[in-house]
Amino acid sequence: MIKSKAQEKFRLAFFFIFILCLITAMVGLPRISIPLMVSYVAYLIVFPAVPTLKKLGLSHDISVVLVFLSLLFLVIYPVVRIVPVLVNEAENVQYYLPKVETYVTDNYKKVQEYVYEKTKYELPDGILTNAISYVKSGTTKVLLGVPTYLASILEWLLLVPLFLFFFLRDGSSFKNIVLNLTPNSIFERTYYLSHQLNKKIGDFIFAKFVEASIVGIIITAGLIIMDIRFSLLLGITAGVTNIIPYVGPLLGAIPALLVVLAEYGWGTTLGAMMLLYIIANAIDIFLVFPILVSKIVDLHPVLVVISVILGSQYFGIVGMIVSIPLAAALKLIIIEIYEETYQAR
Amino acid sequence: MESYEKEMSKALKDGGDVPHKINISILKYFWQANPITGQKSSSIPRFLRNSKVLKNFSDYELKILVNFMHQRKFDAGEVIFNQGDLGIGFYFVFSGYVTVFADRYDSESDSEKEKQIAGLEKGDYFGELSLLQDRNIRNGKAVAKERTQLLGLFKPDLEDLINLHPIVAAKLLQSISLIVTDRLMMLTTELKRVKYKLDKVSGKKSD
Repeated sequence: MIKSKAQEKFRLAFFFIFILCLITAMVGLPRISIPLMVSYVAYLIVFPAVPTLKKLGLSHDISVVLVFLSLLFLVIYPVVRIVPVLVNEAENVQYYLPKVETYVTDNYKKVQEYVYEKTKYELPDGILTNAISYVKSGTTKVLLGVPTYLASILEWLLLVPLFLFFFLRDGSSFKNIVLNLTPNSIFERTYYLSHQLNKKIGDFIFAKFVEASIVGIIITAGLIIMDIRFSLLLGITAGVTNIIPYVGPLLGAIPALLVVLAEYGWGTTLGAMMLLYIIANAIDIFLVFPILVSKIVDLHPVLVVISVILGSQYFGIVGMIVSIPLAAALKLIIIEIYEETYQAR
Repeated sequence: MESYEKEMSKALKDGGDVPHKINISILKYFWQANPITGQKSSSIPRFLRNSKVLKNFSDYELKILVNFMHQRKFDAGEVIFNQGDLGIGFYFVFSGYVTVFADRYDSESDSEKEKQIAGLEKGDYFGELSLLQDRNIRNGKAVAKERTQLLGLFKPDLEDLINLHPIVAAKLLQSISLIVTDRLMMLTTELKRVKYKLDKVSGKKSD
Protein backbone atom coordinates (compact mmCIF):
# COMPACT_ATOMS: atom_id res chain seq x y z
CA MET A 1 0.00 0.00 0.00
CA ILE A 2 2.82 2.43 0.89
CA LYS A 3 4.66 1.45 -2.26
CA SER A 4 1.61 2.17 -4.39
CA LYS A 5 1.18 5.59 -2.80
CA ALA A 6 4.76 6.53 -3.58
CA GLN A 7 4.26 5.33 -7.13
CA GLU A 8 1.13 7.41 -7.46
CA LYS A 9 3.02 10.49 -6.30
CA PHE A 10 5.71 9.77 -8.86
CA ARG A 11 3.09 9.41 -11.59
CA LEU A 12 1.46 12.70 -10.57
CA ALA A 13 4.81 14.49 -10.65
CA PHE A 14 5.65 12.96 -14.03
CA PHE A 15 2.29 13.96 -15.47
CA PHE A 16 2.54 17.57 -14.32
CA ILE A 17 6.13 17.86 -15.54
CA PHE A 18 5.01 16.47 -18.89
CA ILE A 19 2.19 19.04 -19.16
CA LEU A 20 4.53 21.83 -18.00
CA CYS A 21 7.10 20.84 -20.63
CA LEU A 22 4.42 20.94 -23.32
CA ILE A 23 3.33 24.43 -22.25
CA THR A 24 6.90 25.77 -22.04
CA ALA A 25 7.65 24.32 -25.44
CA MET A 26 4.57 26.01 -26.87
CA VAL A 27 5.48 29.37 -25.34
CA GLY A 28 9.18 29.12 -26.11
CA LEU A 29 8.90 28.02 -29.71
CA PRO A 30 6.48 30.43 -31.40
CA ARG A 31 7.65 29.38 -34.86
CA ILE A 32 6.12 25.99 -34.25
CA SER A 33 3.40 26.83 -31.77
CA ILE A 34 1.71 29.53 -33.89
CA PRO A 35 1.16 27.30 -36.95
CA LEU A 36 0.19 24.54 -34.51
CA MET A 37 -2.47 26.79 -32.99
CA VAL A 38 -3.66 27.95 -36.41
CA SER A 39 -4.01 24.36 -37.55
CA TYR A 40 -5.73 23.48 -34.28
CA VAL A 41 -8.29 26.22 -34.92
CA ALA A 42 -8.74 24.92 -38.48
CA TYR A 43 -9.07 21.41 -37.02
CA LEU A 44 -11.81 22.56 -34.65
CA ILE A 45 -13.64 24.16 -37.58
CA VAL A 46 -13.51 21.23 -40.01
CA PHE A 47 -13.44 18.26 -37.63
CA PRO A 48 -17.25 17.86 -37.33
CA ALA A 49 -17.24 16.79 -40.98
CA VAL A 50 -15.23 13.65 -40.19
CA PRO A 51 -17.81 11.87 -37.98
CA THR A 52 -20.50 12.78 -40.51
CA LEU A 53 -18.58 11.00 -43.25
CA LYS A 54 -17.80 8.10 -40.94
CA LYS A 55 -21.49 7.67 -40.29
CA LEU A 56 -21.91 7.06 -44.01
CA GLY A 57 -19.74 4.00 -43.60
CA LEU A 58 -16.36 5.32 -44.74
CA SER A 59 -13.26 4.38 -42.80
CA HIS A 60 -11.50 6.92 -40.61
CA ASP A 61 -8.52 7.43 -42.93
CA ILE A 62 -10.63 7.82 -46.06
CA SER A 63 -12.98 10.34 -44.47
CA VAL A 64 -10.01 12.34 -43.15
CA VAL A 65 -8.42 12.41 -46.61
CA LEU A 66 -11.75 13.42 -48.17
CA VAL A 67 -12.30 16.25 -45.69
CA PHE A 68 -8.71 17.41 -46.11
CA LEU A 69 -8.80 17.40 -49.91
CA SER A 70 -12.16 19.16 -50.12
CA LEU A 71 -10.88 21.79 -47.68
CA LEU A 72 -7.81 22.36 -49.83
CA PHE A 73 -9.99 22.54 -52.92
CA LEU A 74 -12.37 25.02 -51.27
CA VAL A 75 -9.59 27.18 -49.86
CA ILE A 76 -7.07 27.34 -52.70
CA TYR A 77 -9.27 28.90 -55.39
CA PRO A 78 -10.57 31.87 -53.34
CA VAL A 79 -7.12 32.46 -51.87
CA VAL A 80 -5.57 32.56 -55.33
CA ARG A 81 -8.24 35.01 -56.46
CA ILE A 82 -8.40 37.17 -53.34
CA VAL A 83 -4.75 37.52 -52.37
CA PRO A 84 -3.64 39.58 -55.43
CA VAL A 85 -6.57 41.98 -54.95
CA LEU A 86 -5.76 42.26 -51.28
CA VAL A 87 -2.06 42.88 -51.92
CA ASN A 88 -2.98 45.53 -54.47
CA GLU A 89 -5.31 47.25 -52.02
CA ALA A 90 -2.74 47.10 -49.22
CA GLU A 91 -0.14 48.68 -51.47
CA ASN A 92 -2.54 51.47 -52.42
CA VAL A 93 -3.28 52.23 -48.78
CA GLN A 94 0.12 53.85 -48.26
CA TYR A 95 -0.46 56.27 -51.14
CA TYR A 96 -3.92 56.97 -49.84
CA LEU A 97 -2.94 57.71 -46.25
CA PRO A 98 -1.76 61.34 -46.81
CA LYS A 99 -5.18 62.21 -48.22
CA VAL A 100 -6.88 60.87 -45.11
CA GLU A 101 -4.32 62.64 -42.95
CA THR A 102 -4.90 66.07 -44.49
CA TYR A 103 -8.64 65.53 -44.30
CA VAL A 104 -8.45 64.63 -40.62
CA THR A 105 -6.11 67.55 -39.74
CA ASP A 106 -8.33 70.04 -41.60
CA ASN A 107 -11.42 68.88 -39.79
CA TYR A 108 -9.66 68.71 -36.46
CA LYS A 109 -8.74 72.40 -36.87
CA LYS A 110 -12.36 73.25 -37.62
CA VAL A 111 -13.51 71.38 -34.55
CA GLN A 112 -10.83 73.10 -32.50
CA GLU A 113 -12.03 76.54 -33.62
CA TYR A 114 -15.64 75.62 -32.99
CA VAL A 115 -14.95 74.34 -29.48
CA TYR A 116 -12.84 77.43 -28.71
CA GLU A 117 -15.66 79.73 -29.84
CA LYS A 118 -18.21 77.97 -27.72
CA THR A 119 -16.32 77.13 -24.55
CA LYS A 120 -13.13 79.18 -24.69
CA TYR A 121 -11.23 75.94 -24.22
CA GLU A 122 -8.43 75.21 -26.66
CA LEU A 123 -8.17 71.54 -27.60
CA PRO A 124 -4.53 70.53 -27.51
CA ASP A 125 -2.84 69.57 -30.80
CA GLY A 126 -1.16 66.66 -29.08
CA ILE A 127 -4.16 64.32 -29.37
CA LEU A 128 -4.21 64.59 -33.14
CA THR A 129 -0.46 64.41 -33.78
CA ASN A 130 -0.18 61.47 -31.41
CA ALA A 131 -3.01 59.62 -33.10
CA ILE A 132 -1.66 60.27 -36.60
CA SER A 133 1.90 59.27 -35.76
CA TYR A 134 0.56 56.15 -34.04
CA VAL A 135 -1.46 55.13 -37.08
CA LYS A 136 1.40 56.00 -39.43
CA SER A 137 4.02 54.05 -37.55
CA GLY A 138 1.58 51.16 -37.24
CA THR A 139 0.90 50.99 -40.94
CA THR A 140 4.52 51.40 -41.96
CA LYS A 141 5.45 48.67 -39.52
CA VAL A 142 2.91 46.39 -41.15
CA LEU A 143 4.05 47.34 -44.64
CA LEU A 144 7.74 46.97 -43.81
CA GLY A 145 7.01 43.65 -42.20
CA VAL A 146 5.47 42.22 -45.36
CA PRO A 147 8.61 40.34 -46.54
CA THR A 148 9.05 38.61 -43.17
CA TYR A 149 5.34 37.85 -43.07
CA LEU A 150 5.56 36.37 -46.53
CA ALA A 151 8.45 34.17 -45.47
CA SER A 152 6.61 32.91 -42.43
CA ILE A 153 3.41 32.54 -44.44
CA LEU A 154 5.25 30.34 -46.91
CA GLU A 155 6.41 28.25 -43.98
CA TRP A 156 2.81 28.15 -42.70
CA LEU A 157 1.51 27.12 -46.10
CA LEU A 158 3.52 23.95 -45.69
CA LEU A 159 3.16 23.44 -41.95
CA VAL A 160 -0.50 24.22 -41.35
CA PRO A 161 -1.91 21.66 -43.82
CA LEU A 162 0.57 19.09 -42.54
CA PHE A 163 -0.36 19.66 -38.90
CA LEU A 164 -4.04 19.83 -39.81
CA PHE A 165 -3.93 16.50 -41.60
CA PHE A 166 -2.30 14.74 -38.68
CA PHE A 167 -4.57 16.46 -36.17
CA LEU A 168 -7.51 15.08 -38.13
CA ARG A 169 -5.98 11.63 -38.47
CA ASP A 170 -4.26 11.07 -35.13
CA GLY A 171 -6.02 13.52 -32.82
CA SER A 172 -7.86 10.83 -30.92
CA SER A 173 -4.83 8.58 -30.47
CA PHE A 174 -2.79 11.50 -29.13
CA LYS A 175 -5.63 12.15 -26.69
CA ASN A 176 -5.46 8.51 -25.61
CA ILE A 177 -1.70 8.73 -24.99
CA VAL A 178 -2.20 11.72 -22.69
CA LEU A 179 -5.09 9.96 -20.96
CA ASN A 180 -2.96 6.85 -20.40
CA LEU A 181 -0.32 9.02 -18.75
CA THR A 182 -2.90 10.63 -16.48
CA PRO A 183 -2.56 9.26 -12.94
CA ASN A 184 -5.49 7.35 -11.48
CA SER A 185 -6.19 9.74 -8.64
CA ILE A 186 -6.94 12.69 -10.91
CA PHE A 187 -8.07 10.81 -14.02
CA GLU A 188 -11.82 11.38 -13.95
CA ARG A 189 -11.54 15.05 -13.02
CA THR A 190 -8.84 15.76 -15.61
CA TYR A 191 -10.70 13.96 -18.36
CA TYR A 192 -13.98 15.71 -17.60
CA LEU A 193 -12.45 19.16 -17.28
CA SER A 194 -10.26 18.90 -20.38
CA HIS A 195 -13.22 17.63 -22.36
CA GLN A 196 -15.41 20.51 -21.17
CA LEU A 197 -12.67 23.05 -21.91
CA ASN A 198 -11.96 21.63 -25.33
CA LYS A 199 -15.62 21.55 -26.23
CA LYS A 200 -16.30 25.08 -24.99
CA ILE A 201 -13.29 26.60 -26.69
CA GLY A 202 -13.89 24.62 -29.86
CA ASP A 203 -17.54 25.63 -30.04
CA PHE A 204 -16.58 29.22 -29.30
CA ILE A 205 -13.95 29.38 -32.03
CA PHE A 206 -16.30 27.74 -34.51
CA ALA A 207 -19.13 30.15 -33.64
CA LYS A 208 -16.86 33.17 -33.79
CA PHE A 209 -15.46 32.05 -37.13
CA VAL A 210 -18.96 31.74 -38.58
CA GLU A 211 -19.99 35.07 -37.07
CA ALA A 212 -16.94 36.91 -38.38
CA SER A 213 -17.30 35.45 -41.86
CA ILE A 214 -20.99 36.36 -42.03
CA VAL A 215 -20.30 39.97 -41.02
CA GLY A 216 -17.24 40.16 -43.28
CA ILE A 217 -19.12 38.81 -46.29
CA ILE A 218 -22.12 41.14 -45.81
CA ILE A 219 -19.90 44.21 -45.46
CA THR A 220 -17.56 43.29 -48.31
CA ALA A 221 -20.51 42.62 -50.63
CA GLY A 222 -22.18 45.90 -49.64
CA LEU A 223 -19.01 47.92 -50.14
CA ILE A 224 -18.36 46.29 -53.52
CA ILE A 225 -21.93 47.14 -54.61
CA MET A 226 -21.45 50.73 -53.43
CA ASP A 227 -18.15 50.75 -55.33
CA ILE A 228 -16.14 52.04 -52.40
CA ARG A 229 -12.36 51.78 -52.50
CA PHE A 230 -10.54 49.10 -50.49
CA SER A 231 -13.82 47.21 -50.13
CA LEU A 232 -12.14 43.85 -49.61
CA LEU A 233 -9.63 45.17 -47.09
CA LEU A 234 -12.33 47.04 -45.17
CA GLY A 235 -14.65 44.00 -45.19
CA ILE A 236 -11.95 41.70 -43.86
CA THR A 237 -11.02 44.28 -41.19
CA ALA A 238 -14.67 44.45 -40.13
CA GLY A 239 -14.87 40.65 -39.98
CA VAL A 240 -11.70 40.26 -37.91
CA THR A 241 -12.45 43.08 -35.49
CA ASN A 242 -15.95 41.67 -35.06
CA ILE A 243 -14.40 38.91 -32.96
CA ILE A 244 -13.75 41.47 -30.21
CA PRO A 245 -16.98 41.92 -28.25
CA TYR A 246 -18.62 45.37 -27.88
CA VAL A 247 -15.65 47.48 -29.13
CA GLY A 248 -14.93 45.36 -32.21
CA PRO A 249 -17.73 46.55 -34.52
CA LEU A 250 -16.83 50.19 -33.76
CA LEU A 251 -13.13 49.54 -34.40
CA GLY A 252 -13.99 47.87 -37.68
CA ALA A 253 -16.16 50.80 -38.81
CA ILE A 254 -13.54 53.54 -38.17
CA PRO A 255 -11.30 52.89 -41.20
CA ALA A 256 -14.31 52.70 -43.52
CA LEU A 257 -15.65 55.94 -42.03
CA LEU A 258 -12.34 57.71 -42.66
CA VAL A 259 -12.03 56.44 -46.22
CA VAL A 260 -15.60 57.40 -47.13
CA LEU A 261 -15.34 60.82 -45.46
CA ALA A 262 -12.05 61.63 -47.19
CA GLU A 263 -13.31 60.41 -50.53
CA TYR A 264 -16.94 61.53 -50.68
CA GLY A 265 -17.39 63.93 -47.76
CA TRP A 266 -20.70 64.23 -45.93
CA GLY A 267 -23.36 62.81 -48.22
CA THR A 268 -25.44 59.88 -49.29
CA THR A 269 -22.47 57.51 -49.64
CA LEU A 270 -21.58 58.05 -46.00
CA GLY A 271 -25.19 57.41 -45.02
CA ALA A 272 -25.34 54.25 -47.11
CA MET A 273 -22.06 52.99 -45.66
CA MET A 274 -23.18 53.60 -42.10
CA LEU A 275 -26.47 51.90 -42.83
CA LEU A 276 -24.57 48.92 -44.21
CA TYR A 277 -22.46 48.61 -41.04
CA ILE A 278 -25.51 49.01 -38.85
CA ILE A 279 -27.43 46.36 -40.79
CA ALA A 280 -24.51 43.92 -40.72
CA ASN A 281 -24.08 44.37 -36.98
CA ALA A 282 -27.81 44.17 -36.39
CA ILE A 283 -27.92 40.84 -38.21
CA ASP A 284 -24.98 39.76 -36.07
CA ILE A 285 -26.47 40.94 -32.78
CA PHE A 286 -30.08 39.83 -33.30
CA LEU A 287 -29.68 36.70 -35.41
CA VAL A 288 -26.22 35.17 -35.32
CA PHE A 289 -25.15 35.96 -31.77
CA PRO A 290 -28.22 34.61 -29.93
CA ILE A 291 -28.23 31.40 -31.97
CA LEU A 292 -24.52 30.64 -32.05
CA VAL A 293 -22.44 32.37 -29.45
CA SER A 294 -24.45 33.36 -26.42
CA LYS A 295 -25.15 29.84 -25.18
CA ILE A 296 -21.50 28.87 -25.39
CA VAL A 297 -19.93 31.68 -23.43
CA ASP A 298 -22.27 32.59 -20.63
CA LEU A 299 -20.05 35.28 -19.19
CA HIS A 300 -21.52 38.34 -17.53
CA PRO A 301 -21.09 41.48 -19.72
CA VAL A 302 -19.05 43.12 -16.97
CA LEU A 303 -16.66 40.15 -16.96
CA VAL A 304 -16.45 40.32 -20.77
CA VAL A 305 -15.51 44.00 -20.69
CA ILE A 306 -12.97 43.49 -17.91
CA SER A 307 -11.30 40.58 -19.68
CA VAL A 308 -11.18 42.47 -22.98
CA ILE A 309 -9.53 45.45 -21.27
CA LEU A 310 -7.03 43.24 -19.46
CA GLY A 311 -6.27 41.36 -22.68
CA SER A 312 -5.72 44.57 -24.62
CA GLN A 313 -3.43 45.90 -21.92
CA TYR A 314 -1.09 42.94 -21.98
CA PHE A 315 -1.30 41.57 -25.52
CA GLY A 316 -2.89 44.29 -27.68
CA ILE A 317 -5.42 43.34 -30.34
CA VAL A 318 -4.53 39.65 -30.11
CA GLY A 319 -5.17 39.82 -26.39
CA MET A 320 -8.60 41.31 -27.00
CA ILE A 321 -9.50 38.43 -29.31
CA VAL A 322 -8.08 35.69 -27.08
CA SER A 323 -9.35 37.13 -23.80
CA ILE A 324 -12.93 35.80 -24.06
CA PRO A 325 -12.17 32.08 -24.50
CA LEU A 326 -9.49 32.36 -21.83
CA ALA A 327 -11.94 33.99 -19.42
CA ALA A 328 -14.52 31.29 -20.21
CA ALA A 329 -11.94 28.57 -19.54
CA LEU A 330 -10.92 30.18 -16.28
CA LYS A 331 -14.55 30.44 -15.22
CA LEU A 332 -15.08 26.74 -15.93
CA ILE A 333 -12.03 25.74 -13.89
CA ILE A 334 -13.03 28.00 -10.98
CA ILE A 335 -16.58 26.61 -10.97
CA GLU A 336 -15.19 23.08 -11.01
CA ILE A 337 -12.93 23.80 -8.04
CA TYR A 338 -15.75 25.57 -6.23
CA GLU A 339 -18.12 22.65 -6.63
CA GLU A 340 -15.40 20.23 -5.69
CA THR A 341 -14.67 22.04 -2.44
CA TYR A 342 -18.07 23.33 -1.37
CA GLN A 343 -20.87 21.25 -2.83
CA ALA A 344 -19.70 17.72 -3.34
CA ARG A 345 -19.19 16.92 0.32
CA MET B 1 -14.23 -22.17 -27.49
CA GLU B 2 -11.66 -24.71 -26.25
CA SER B 3 -14.45 -26.64 -24.68
CA TYR B 4 -15.96 -27.23 -28.10
CA GLU B 5 -12.63 -28.53 -29.37
CA LYS B 6 -12.31 -30.87 -26.40
CA GLU B 7 -15.84 -32.02 -26.85
CA MET B 8 -15.24 -32.88 -30.47
CA SER B 9 -11.97 -34.69 -29.84
CA LYS B 10 -13.62 -36.66 -27.07
CA ALA B 11 -16.48 -37.54 -29.39
CA LEU B 12 -14.00 -38.72 -32.03
CA LYS B 13 -12.05 -40.83 -29.52
CA ASP B 14 -15.12 -42.43 -28.04
CA GLY B 15 -16.63 -42.96 -31.47
CA GLY B 16 -19.63 -40.77 -30.65
CA ASP B 17 -21.67 -38.48 -32.91
CA VAL B 18 -19.84 -35.88 -34.87
CA PRO B 19 -22.07 -33.22 -36.48
CA HIS B 20 -22.39 -33.44 -40.26
CA LYS B 21 -23.12 -29.78 -40.71
CA ILE B 22 -20.45 -27.16 -40.27
CA ASN B 23 -21.51 -25.06 -37.39
CA ILE B 24 -20.91 -21.36 -37.29
CA SER B 25 -19.18 -21.22 -33.97
CA ILE B 26 -16.45 -23.60 -35.07
CA LEU B 27 -15.87 -21.48 -38.16
CA LYS B 28 -15.65 -18.46 -35.93
CA TYR B 29 -13.18 -20.27 -33.74
CA PHE B 30 -10.90 -20.96 -36.68
CA TRP B 31 -11.31 -17.41 -37.91
CA GLN B 32 -10.34 -15.99 -34.56
CA ALA B 33 -7.47 -18.42 -34.18
CA ASN B 34 -5.96 -17.69 -37.59
CA PRO B 35 -2.52 -16.12 -37.48
CA ILE B 36 -3.36 -12.94 -39.42
CA THR B 37 -6.40 -11.61 -37.62
CA GLY B 38 -5.93 -13.55 -34.43
CA GLN B 39 -3.02 -11.60 -33.07
CA LYS B 40 -4.69 -8.27 -33.59
CA SER B 41 -7.98 -8.93 -31.87
CA SER B 42 -7.74 -8.25 -28.20
CA SER B 43 -9.39 -10.31 -25.54
CA ILE B 44 -11.52 -7.36 -24.42
CA PRO B 45 -14.48 -7.90 -26.79
CA ARG B 46 -14.59 -11.54 -25.73
CA PHE B 47 -14.55 -10.44 -22.12
CA LEU B 48 -17.43 -8.04 -22.70
CA ARG B 49 -19.30 -10.73 -24.63
CA ASN B 50 -19.65 -12.63 -21.37
CA SER B 51 -21.04 -9.66 -19.52
CA LYS B 52 -24.73 -9.90 -18.79
CA VAL B 53 -25.23 -6.16 -19.20
CA LEU B 54 -24.13 -6.17 -22.82
CA LYS B 55 -26.00 -9.31 -23.88
CA ASN B 56 -28.04 -7.45 -26.54
CA PHE B 57 -24.87 -6.26 -28.31
CA SER B 58 -23.66 -7.89 -31.51
CA ASP B 59 -19.96 -8.73 -31.84
CA TYR B 60 -19.44 -5.83 -34.21
CA GLU B 61 -21.11 -3.41 -31.81
CA LEU B 62 -18.94 -4.66 -28.97
CA LYS B 63 -15.86 -3.98 -31.07
CA ILE B 64 -17.05 -0.40 -31.60
CA LEU B 65 -17.77 0.00 -27.91
CA VAL B 66 -14.28 -1.22 -26.99
CA ASN B 67 -12.73 1.56 -29.10
CA PHE B 68 -14.40 4.08 -26.83
CA MET B 69 -13.36 2.48 -23.56
CA HIS B 70 -10.20 3.07 -21.56
CA GLN B 71 -8.14 0.45 -19.80
CA ARG B 72 -6.99 1.62 -16.39
CA LYS B 73 -4.58 -0.25 -14.11
CA PHE B 74 -4.71 -0.03 -10.35
CA ASP B 75 -2.25 -1.38 -7.79
CA ALA B 76 -3.35 -3.23 -4.70
CA GLY B 77 -4.85 -0.81 -2.19
CA GLU B 78 -5.19 2.01 -4.68
CA VAL B 79 -8.38 4.06 -4.46
CA ILE B 80 -10.46 4.08 -7.64
CA PHE B 81 -12.76 6.80 -6.42
CA ASN B 82 -13.80 8.27 -3.08
CA GLN B 83 -17.24 8.79 -1.66
CA GLY B 84 -18.40 12.29 -2.62
CA ASP B 85 -16.25 12.54 -5.74
CA LEU B 86 -17.74 13.82 -8.95
CA GLY B 87 -18.25 10.68 -11.02
CA ILE B 88 -18.09 10.39 -14.78
CA GLY B 89 -17.00 6.77 -15.24
CA PHE B 90 -18.74 3.41 -15.63
CA TYR B 91 -16.30 0.55 -14.96
CA PHE B 92 -16.08 -3.15 -15.72
CA VAL B 93 -13.70 -5.27 -13.68
CA PHE B 94 -11.44 -6.84 -16.30
CA SER B 95 -9.19 -8.58 -13.82
CA GLY B 96 -8.52 -8.39 -10.10
CA TYR B 97 -10.87 -7.61 -7.27
CA VAL B 98 -12.58 -4.39 -6.19
CA THR B 99 -14.13 -3.71 -2.80
CA VAL B 100 -16.77 -1.03 -2.31
CA PHE B 101 -17.14 0.81 0.98
CA ALA B 102 -19.90 3.15 2.08
CA ASP B 103 -20.79 5.06 5.20
CA ARG B 104 -23.38 3.07 7.14
CA TYR B 105 -24.99 3.50 10.52
CA ASP B 106 -22.94 1.83 13.21
CA SER B 107 -24.97 0.78 16.24
CA GLU B 108 -21.94 0.47 18.54
CA SER B 109 -20.72 4.06 18.19
CA ASP B 110 -24.12 5.48 17.12
CA SER B 111 -22.57 7.27 14.14
CA GLU B 112 -21.73 6.76 10.48
CA LYS B 113 -18.86 4.43 9.86
CA GLU B 114 -17.21 3.19 6.70
CA LYS B 115 -18.27 -0.38 6.01
CA GLN B 116 -17.61 -2.78 3.19
CA ILE B 117 -20.81 -3.23 1.24
CA ALA B 118 -19.73 -5.19 -1.81
CA GLY B 119 -16.89 -7.09 -3.45
CA LEU B 120 -16.64 -7.10 -7.20
CA GLU B 121 -14.72 -9.62 -9.24
CA LYS B 122 -13.97 -10.21 -12.89
CA GLY B 123 -16.99 -9.41 -15.08
CA ASP B 124 -18.76 -7.22 -12.52
CA TYR B 125 -19.48 -3.58 -13.16
CA PHE B 126 -19.97 -0.45 -11.06
CA GLY B 127 -20.54 3.30 -11.40
CA GLU B 128 -23.28 3.00 -14.02
CA LEU B 129 -25.28 5.91 -12.57
CA SER B 130 -22.52 8.36 -13.42
CA LEU B 131 -23.28 8.04 -17.12
CA LEU B 132 -26.95 8.90 -16.64
CA GLN B 133 -26.80 11.67 -14.06
CA ASP B 134 -25.88 15.24 -14.91
CA ARG B 135 -23.67 15.73 -11.86
CA ASN B 136 -23.13 12.37 -10.32
CA ILE B 137 -21.74 12.22 -6.80
CA ARG B 138 -20.21 8.86 -5.89
CA ASN B 139 -22.04 7.36 -2.96
CA GLY B 140 -19.38 4.83 -2.14
CA LYS B 141 -15.66 4.35 -2.11
CA ALA B 142 -14.08 1.82 -4.46
CA VAL B 143 -10.69 0.34 -3.69
CA ALA B 144 -8.65 -2.16 -5.66
CA LYS B 145 -7.93 -5.08 -3.35
CA GLU B 146 -5.26 -6.58 -5.56
CA ARG B 147 -3.67 -5.58 -8.87
CA THR B 148 -6.77 -4.70 -10.89
CA GLN B 149 -7.49 -3.80 -14.47
CA LEU B 150 -10.66 -1.88 -15.16
CA LEU B 151 -12.38 -1.02 -18.41
CA GLY B 152 -13.90 2.42 -18.08
CA LEU B 153 -16.40 4.26 -20.23
CA PHE B 154 -16.59 7.95 -19.37
CA LYS B 155 -19.11 10.66 -20.04
CA PRO B 156 -17.09 12.34 -22.83
CA ASP B 157 -16.75 8.92 -24.49
CA LEU B 158 -20.50 8.43 -24.26
CA GLU B 159 -21.03 11.81 -25.95
CA ASP B 160 -18.69 10.81 -28.76
CA LEU B 161 -20.40 7.43 -29.00
CA ILE B 162 -23.82 9.09 -29.31
CA ASN B 163 -22.51 11.29 -32.11
CA LEU B 164 -20.66 8.60 -34.02
CA HIS B 165 -22.58 5.39 -33.36
CA PRO B 166 -26.07 6.29 -32.17
CA ILE B 167 -27.30 2.70 -32.29
CA VAL B 168 -24.52 1.37 -30.09
CA ALA B 169 -25.04 4.28 -27.70
CA ALA B 170 -28.78 3.63 -27.56
CA LYS B 171 -28.18 -0.05 -26.81
CA LEU B 172 -25.73 0.83 -24.07
CA LEU B 173 -28.11 3.32 -22.50
CA GLN B 174 -30.91 0.75 -22.75
CA SER B 175 -28.80 -1.80 -20.91
CA ILE B 176 -27.87 0.68 -18.22
CA SER B 177 -31.48 1.76 -17.78
CA LEU B 178 -32.42 -1.91 -17.41
CA ILE B 179 -29.96 -2.23 -14.54
CA VAL B 180 -31.25 0.94 -12.97
CA THR B 181 -34.93 0.09 -13.31
CA ASP B 182 -34.34 -3.38 -11.87
CA ARG B 183 -32.64 -1.81 -8.90
CA LEU B 184 -35.42 0.75 -8.57
CA MET B 185 -38.04 -2.00 -8.50
CA MET B 186 -36.06 -3.85 -5.86
CA LEU B 187 -35.78 -0.69 -3.80
CA THR B 188 -39.51 0.02 -4.11
CA THR B 189 -40.47 -3.42 -2.82
CA GLU B 190 -37.88 -3.14 -0.07
CA LEU B 191 -39.23 0.26 0.90
CA LYS B 192 -42.76 -1.10 0.96
CA ARG B 193 -41.70 -3.86 3.31
CA VAL B 194 -39.82 -1.48 5.56
CA LYS B 195 -42.75 0.93 5.62
CA TYR B 196 -45.13 -1.90 6.43
CA LYS B 197 -42.94 -3.01 9.31
CA LEU B 198 -42.56 0.56 10.53
CA ASP B 199 -46.33 1.09 10.47
CA LYS B 200 -46.78 -2.14 12.34
CA VAL B 201 -44.30 -1.08 15.03
CA SER B 202 -45.73 2.42 15.42
CA GLY B 203 -49.25 1.01 15.43
CA LYS B 204 -48.35 -1.27 18.31
CA LYS B 205 -46.83 1.64 20.22
CA SER B 206 -49.90 3.83 19.90
CA ASP B 207 -52.13 1.07 21.15
